[in-house]
Amino acid sequence: MAHQISIRIDGKLVKVSAGSSILDAALAAGKDIPALCHMKGLSAVGACRLCVVELAGVGRLLPACTTPAADGMSVTTVSQKLTKYRRMILEMLFAERNHVCSVCVSNNHCELQALAARLGVTNVRFAYSYPKLSADTSHPRFVLDHNRCILCTRCVRVCAELEGAHVWDVMSRGTGSRLVCDMNQPWGASKGCTSCGKCVQACPTGALAEKGWCVEEMAKQPARVSRLAVIRGGGQ
Amino acid sequence: MTRIADLSTFNTVHEDGLAKLLPPRPRIAVGMGTCGTGHGAEGVFHAFSAEIGNRGLGISLARTGCFGICAEEPLVNVWIPGKPLVILRKVQPHDAGAILDAITSGAVPFDLALCRIEEWDHITAHIKYGTGFEEIPLWSDVPFFKGQKKIVLRHCGLISPGDIEEYIAVGGYQALYKVLIDGNPVGVIEQIKGSKLRGRGGAGYQTGIKWEFLRAAQAEQKYLICNADEGDPGAYMNRNEIEGDPHSLLEGMIIGGYVTGATEGIIYIRAEYPLAVHRLQSAIQQARDYGLLGQNILGRGFDFHVSLVEGAGAFVCGEETALIRSLEGKAGRPAPRPPYPAEKGLYGKPTNINNVETWYNIAPIIIKGASWFTDTGSPRSSGTKVFSLVGKVNSTGLVEMPLGTPLKTFVYAIGGGAPNGKSVKAVQTGGPSGGCIPQEMLDTPVDYESLAALGSIMGSGGMVVMDEDNCMVDVARYFIEFTHSESCGKCVPCRVGLDKSLALLNRFTRGAATVQDLAMLDELSRMIRDTSLCGLGQTAPNPVLTTMRHFRHEFEDHIRAHRCRAGVCQDLALSPCENSCPLHMNIPRFLELYKEDKIEEAFLSVVLDNPLPASTGRVCQHPCENRCRRVGIDEAVNMREVHRYIADAIYASNRYPALIEQVRARMLPPTGKRVAVVGAGPTGLACAYYLALLGHETTVYDGNAEAGGMLRYVLPDYRLPKEVLRKELELIEAIGVKFVFNTQVGRDLSLNEIDAAYDAVFLSIGTWKEAWVYLPGTELRGVIPALPFLESVAKNEPVALGKTVAVIGGGNAAIDSARTALRLGSGVTIIYRRERKDMPAIPEETEAAEAEGAEMVFLAAPHRIIGNAAGGVQAVEVVRTTLGEFDSSGRRRPVPTGEVIRFECDTVILAVGETVDLDFVKASGLKIKEAGTIEVDRYTLETSRDKFYAGGDVISGASNVSNAMGYGKKAARKIDDRLMGAHRFGQLLPEFDYDKSPPSCPSGSGRHRVSELPALERVKTFAEAVAGLSPVEAMEEACRCLRCDARNGDN
Repeated sequence: MAHQISIRIDGKLVKVSAGSSILDAALAAGKDIPALCHMKGLSAVGACRLCVVELAGVGRLLPACTTPAADGMSVTTVSQKLTKYRRMILEMLFAERNHVCSVCVSNNHCELQALAARLGVTNVRFAYSYPKLSADTSHPRFVLDHNRCILCTRCVRVCAELEGAHVWDVMSRGTGSRLVCDMNQPWGASKGCTSCGKCVQACPTGALAEKGWCVEEMAKQPARVSRLAVIRGGGQ
Repeated sequence: MTRIADLSTFNTVHEDGLAKLLPPRPRIAVGMGTCGTGHGAEGVFHAFSAEIGNRGLGISLARTGCFGICAEEPLVNVWIPGKPLVILRKVQPHDAGAILDAITSGAVPFDLALCRIEEWDHITAHIKYGTGFEEIPLWSDVPFFKGQKKIVLRHCGLISPGDIEEYIAVGGYQALYKVLIDGNPVGVIEQIKGSKLRGRGGAGYQTGIKWEFLRAAQAEQKYLICNADEGDPGAYMNRNEIEGDPHSLLEGMIIGGYVTGATEGIIYIRAEYPLAVHRLQSAIQQARDYGLLGQNILGRGFDFHVSLVEGAGAFVCGEETALIRSLEGKAGRPAPRPPYPAEKGLYGKPTNINNVETWYNIAPIIIKGASWFTDTGSPRSSGTKVFSLVGKVNSTGLVEMPLGTPLKTFVYAIGGGAPNGKSVKAVQTGGPSGGCIPQEMLDTPVDYESLAALGSIMGSGGMVVMDEDNCMVDVARYFIEFTHSESCGKCVPCRVGLDKSLALLNRFTRGAATVQDLAMLDELSRMIRDTSLCGLGQTAPNPVLTTMRHFRHEFEDHIRAHRCRAGVCQDLALSPCENSCPLHMNIPRFLELYKEDKIEEAFLSVVLDNPLPASTGRVCQHPCENRCRRVGIDEAVNMREVHRYIADAIYASNRYPALIEQVRARMLPPTGKRVAVVGAGPTGLACAYYLALLGHETTVYDGNAEAGGMLRYVLPDYRLPKEVLRKELELIEAIGVKFVFNTQVGRDLSLNEIDAAYDAVFLSIGTWKEAWVYLPGTELRGVIPALPFLESVAKNEPVALGKTVAVIGGGNAAIDSARTALRLGSGVTIIYRRERKDMPAIPEETEAAEAEGAEMVFLAAPHRIIGNAAGGVQAVEVVRTTLGEFDSSGRRRPVPTGEVIRFECDTVILAVGETVDLDFVKASGLKIKEAGTIEVDRYTLETSRDKFYAGGDVISGASNVSNAMGYGKKAARKIDDRLMGAHRFGQLLPEFDYDKSPPSCPSGSGRHRVSELPALERVKTFAEAVAGLSPVEAMEEACRCLRCDARNGDN
């Protein structure tokens, strides 16, 4: 067993095994740092930047998910600045695509929505982009709606690291980034997709959903996927 | 071809190379970097090649890289044995014959010569070319090269990049040989650490420490990467380095490989650099052939391979983790660090990445030692750095300077300042990741820490100079547009944040932004900087943050005044001329109306924009011409003279009364509000005119007996005849402006009395006090200030003027005094402490004074005035000055030399500037600025006292007539806004019917100049010296306008 290190999270001293991330350590200290791209069992990518924390003696903010905990670290997970930034990130995600909760299958079961409520995001101060986006309904059981995708890449990682199919990836760049199936094929035409549905369960919003559900009906079970990933040792 | 395996073969190749570089016959080398070929060097090379062949001359012809001075391309090096190497500039193919003629007769064409090089320090070798040709300046005396120290660019533009033997001839691969023979990798790393060489890609991490990490890493495979993915807009240092000298890069990498234990080197190069790719490929092949790369290098049993990978065209691939992904064949998206590449890099193996320029410094450090390197540069940033100096400077090009050199040296001494006499506004360093440094801070030394302290970075070495025609909001918008389109999209702050940042900046350039947007932009930029994943996102907001920090007033102008001073933001300006005009005259409109033969409408258009069109038509500084786009074809449209012509023609006709009625018809109904204007100068007149048009009861107070202020009492008759002004005043009186003369507010009437009687008060008392220099002798009789002198002449009062007059100063008052004194029969000498080009006076006026016989003495500062026994002036002594350092205004500071010159004279006119009458201002109880001017809100012109507004010279300091009137016009608008609670100013203008499309074929005629009376004739009288345009000339001028106000109907 890896040796133990001591780290202070918001003043509370916790012992975690070496190699843990600050996010793991925070969880051990009972602190739930907001995050959307992170999923236990999958590799960490540091994309959503919601989990940024302050580290004593370091001028910049660091993402908790990809920064390894080190002995003697003192981490602040909640501050006025962090909350301001986290709210702005959520505002940006809402403004980037067309998140219309009232017509979404994942309404009330959405991690983005829940986090916004938790952090007190009541309005979006940025101009909405209102991009014209399509939905891929070609798969017999599932649907991909780009309007609701936040590009967290959980689906990409769960498919590549846990299922081993690597059907999903992200194409193009910047605001033009899009989740793609294989080499930008319709999902239904994918030869690699095993239709296992792990991507759907891992998706934090209504972007990937099962067909046949109405508004508010798509409850997902990311924790089960996560547990499986930990058991199988996919990623880290 | 020889495979080098020992010292003797190495020496043989060295000798062969020298024989090519310094052959026993003349050698011509054409600079054929991308910059050279872009200017036609290919044609020059072929012309030489054909001509040499045809004539059967024994002359070597070679290709070389770029010597750095891009503004003078194509460059050609000519060397005749025994003579210095001469660099010829701007050589065209048709020059080849003449150049060869000269060479065969043992000379060079001096008219094309840029500089000569007698000997050259290649650092790794020393080449002596020869002596002679002393008429040509030494390279180090050419301003562009002065102070440059070529370590990185040691071979560029001198050797043939395509020939490894020439590289070896100038000491190439010696450092590698030394390192391999010594066999002490740890010692080499210590040496690099000792040199304090820092990464030249921008971050500035110490190279030696990075190498140590890689050496310490345990793995069977380690990689070295050269980052040649140079993507900053305006930066091309690496391209030229590789194009001019590819082997230095390879040598640096091979040494790096040996000492860190890496066996594989990869150069990740921009695919957009085909020539650099080609040169590197051939260099790699040659190095392999000569046994300097590949297996068993130099026979020492060390293997190192270098391969070339062309980038995928993404800016973000310059970020090291994204670059590694790109090399692995994945999408170029950065990964979080840790793990750092030194532990887990390419294919998960330990990897070290250095910028191109870093590698170029390795061989010199090995040969010369660490302390030699730290001798150059500043304590924390040693060595030199290559910068690409581009943008609004006269001499653009690649500049290699010791770190720690002040920015102003780059901009003024090397770059020669902004072209066309414009003033430099800012320097942008570090490309899209850097920031803008304002002109006032150009003393800043260029090193990693100093630039970071200002919010910028050194980056890879882009240096973009901006002048007054650059809008800083637009600059910020441009860079955000760039980083926005280059963001990989992985993390939210960069992907979405930059998108929203761009949207906000677009609101500014459209004039739709609010104060909240400014706060939001600031908050958003900080958030992107603090939370983004990689260097691209973390530095992308720098251009916004620095421009907001150093140019906040420009952002505020866009919000509060919907004004883009630089005239870049199209939605905020009608045309460049309108935008530059302080009165914002709709110039294209009156030109078009006149062109359509509607002179009366043209007059209405003019006079509703500017109540004194004939006076300003004579004496305005015409800022409109500075940005006129017609300059791109020939010269600016003579706009000032066209409105002078229109006004003169109407005043002379019997239509004037009817047109006055038409102006009166535009008046808004009486409002019942009463406004006082203090001062009947151009500012006060403009304000009173518009206030009256807006329906307010307006009274103007003035201490003099007539209206016009300086136009009436300072400007001499030969520039502005009094009857012209009188004619214009008829209109202002006709719309009901009341004048109270001979009443000085503050003396005859207190401010409180005025305050009680009016709803608003506008102060425009001008700058009537002559500034005074306290020299020994100023108390003498015969020393007179310029303004009272001109005023006395204007009032026909007797003035005691001697036979010989010395005028001290270089502004318009100095020239007016000089020309007036000439007309009074005196001999005149104008003494000015700077150079002619630095004179604030209108250049035409200075020329006219000179033509009329005024002597000009430049670079002479008054020292003392010597009196005679009678208490009068006998002579003035001046100290000769030379030009010293550049000051913060971008002009060279005059430095006294100690040489004293004496001018015999009996009168000295001091014209060193005018100031506000402080007594009045102090008595007014209004807040005063340090300069002695009244403090006002920039946007509303409100003073610290309620109801009181101020404008003109009294708030700006001595300026000119159109600026003054601009303030008056703006004040009238702001006073009306406040009194009426509504924006009514726009209602004054009628709809004019004129063609709003651009001319399909603008007149090809050149600019028409006004005709001056012959100097000898005009100097005898005060009659007007300059006749206006004729009707035909005025019409042709109107037809020359390109109509920048026309808008595409689709937009």
